[in-house]
Amino acid sequence: MELVCLGLNHKTAPVEVRERFAVGNTKLGEASQNLLEMAGVPEGVVISTCNRTEFYLAAESAPAALGKLEHCLAEKVHGHEEPFYRYEKADAARHLCKVVSGLDSMLLGETEIFGQVKQAYHAAHAAGTTGPVLNRLFQKVFSVGKKVRTQTSIQEGSTSIGNVAVELAEKIFGHLKDSEVMVLGAGEMSRLTAQALVSRGAKSVIVTNRTHDRAVELAAEMNGRAVRFDDWLGVLKDVDVVISSTGAPHTIIHKEEVESVRRARKYRPLFLIDIAVPRDIDHRVGEIEEVYLYDIDALEQLAGQAKSRRLQQIIECEKIIEAELGKLVT
Amino acid sequence: MGVDRWFLIASTLLAAVAGVRGVLALRHGNKSHWTVWWMIGVFLCQMGYLAVRGEMRGACPLRSIAEISVYLAWSLTLFYLLVGPVYRISLLGVFTAPVVVIFQGLALLPGKLDPSPERIINTTVWGETHSAMSVLAYGALALAAVAGVMFLVLDRQLKEQHLKGGLFRNLPPVRELLVSLERLLWLGMVLLTVGIVAGILMPHETDGGWKHVFVAAGVWGGYVALMVVKRVRGITGRKFALGAVALFVFSLGVFAFV
Repeated sequence: MELVCLGLNHKTAPVEVRERFAVGNTKLGEASQNLLEMAGVPEGVVISTCNRTEFYLAAESAPAALGKLEHCLAEKVHGHEEPFYRYEKADAARHLCKVVSGLDSMLLGETEIFGQVKQAYHAAHAAGTTGPVLNRLFQKVFSVGKKVRTQTSIQEGSTSIGNVAVELAEKIFGHLKDSEVMVLGAGEMSRLTAQALVSRGAKSVIVTNRTHDRAVELAAEMNGRAVRFDDWLGVLKDVDVVISSTGAPHTIIHKEEVESVRRARKYRPLFLIDIAVPRDIDHRVGEIEEVYLYDIDALEQLAGQAKSRRLQQIIECEKIIEAELGKLVT
Repeated sequence: MGVDRWFLIASTLLAAVAGVRGVLALRHGNKSHWTVWWMIGVFLCQMGYLAVRGEMRGACPLRSIAEISVYLAWSLTLFYLLVGPVYRISLLGVFTAPVVVIFQGLALLPGKLDPSPERIINTTVWGETHSAMSVLAYGALALAAVAGVMFLVLDRQLKEQHLKGGLFRNLPPVRELLVSLERLLWLGMVLLTVGIVAGILMPHETDGGWKHVFVAAGVWGGYVALMVVKRVRGITGRKFALGAVALFVFSLGVFAFV
């Protein structure tokens, strides 16, 4: 039996091609069954995420199986450049190890892919499309993925501004379930950052914007509440995190304003995230003892540092993968 | 060399190993999962020391600066082992171990720990309660000071945006450190209150005894003031932590000079 992988991902295919191959979570088992029919092979698994669709096959003849499969899929890529990559034998196993470890992801080192591949494998297993070759391969690959994550720092640090903000908020407040967030300015960046905080359990979100209707809209989206822009200072005494991104040409939050609510806040820690350019928050606000002020440059720098740390870890990850693949072959 | 000293040396070495291994792990970007086990070893050796020394004294061994210093280290270790796992304060052991080494190292200085201590004959319940509870209280207050130092380190890193390295990654969140600090101060204050009340009730043969109680009451007053300000008016984390550290350092003078 020969191991084969045919796939396309964010590097080889635009979204309009990838979406034609996307398979919903509930259809993964069915897709694996179709794969067996299309390629005429005894074992097959379909992996599908927003950034990739990959077909793993165990076939008597790799070229024959690939030929049949590509023939069946040709119609879907009509009018576009060749989007597929192909791996055989050890290369296919190596590629799957990289995928599971997040080394082939758009966001290097991301962890979600591990669960997605596991889900795809379980669906195929339940649909009866796996056998001795793919079962052994996937079990090994999952253990390699775990090893890579525990023995390297490939997943450490946040590589997006939203996640850096969440990480810092958690470093200040611990669990965010007791933390209230205020969003100043209902732009896309503040929405994404606030959403990241909410997804990590932030207790409530208060949105304020010069156009009140827009604040109401965003607040509804996040199950929060909107306040008039003129009233934001009154809310400041209750919140723990402020995300500011108003697009105003001048400073919105001054040191004197924050100082005026310190007593009412009982000097609790306050995390201010200024992602506006020009900046919304006077940099002197950061001089207040209990205030942690981070602007867009600081957040981008932290995200950049995490990215470069992850890049440095690739070699270590690949060493682990090679060592484990060696054991798989023997 | 007596068995008590051997126990003390072993305990101090274990604490040093806990601290050094913890720091080395941090330099590699991780935290050592063995710190708590080293500290359990420290605690067991301290118990061995206290058992032997207590037998020699015929009472709680708290009659010299060296003995008080070791008892304080024992109390600090005890509270670390009780509080650390409950509050899940990561790295507390790495910060506690050096303090234990310092206290016990002082006791191990030549001439500090009497190899043949005088047996105590006239002990009173109040006197023993005063000594034991006061030093236990200082153990809790010492651990509060350790948590305060951890907060100050993290606060500085966050303010200056120096967020690289294992230390930053492994320190507990700001809010958790402040909550733990406050709880430890409350615990220390309750124990210190009992110690001072017992100190007032114990028989005083000299003016020095009263002086000691008055100074202890002054320290107690300082902690009460800090807690009242925290509760009623509010205080920044930095000032709260600095207050806890400063009051503890000051309170050591109660033992050292009074």
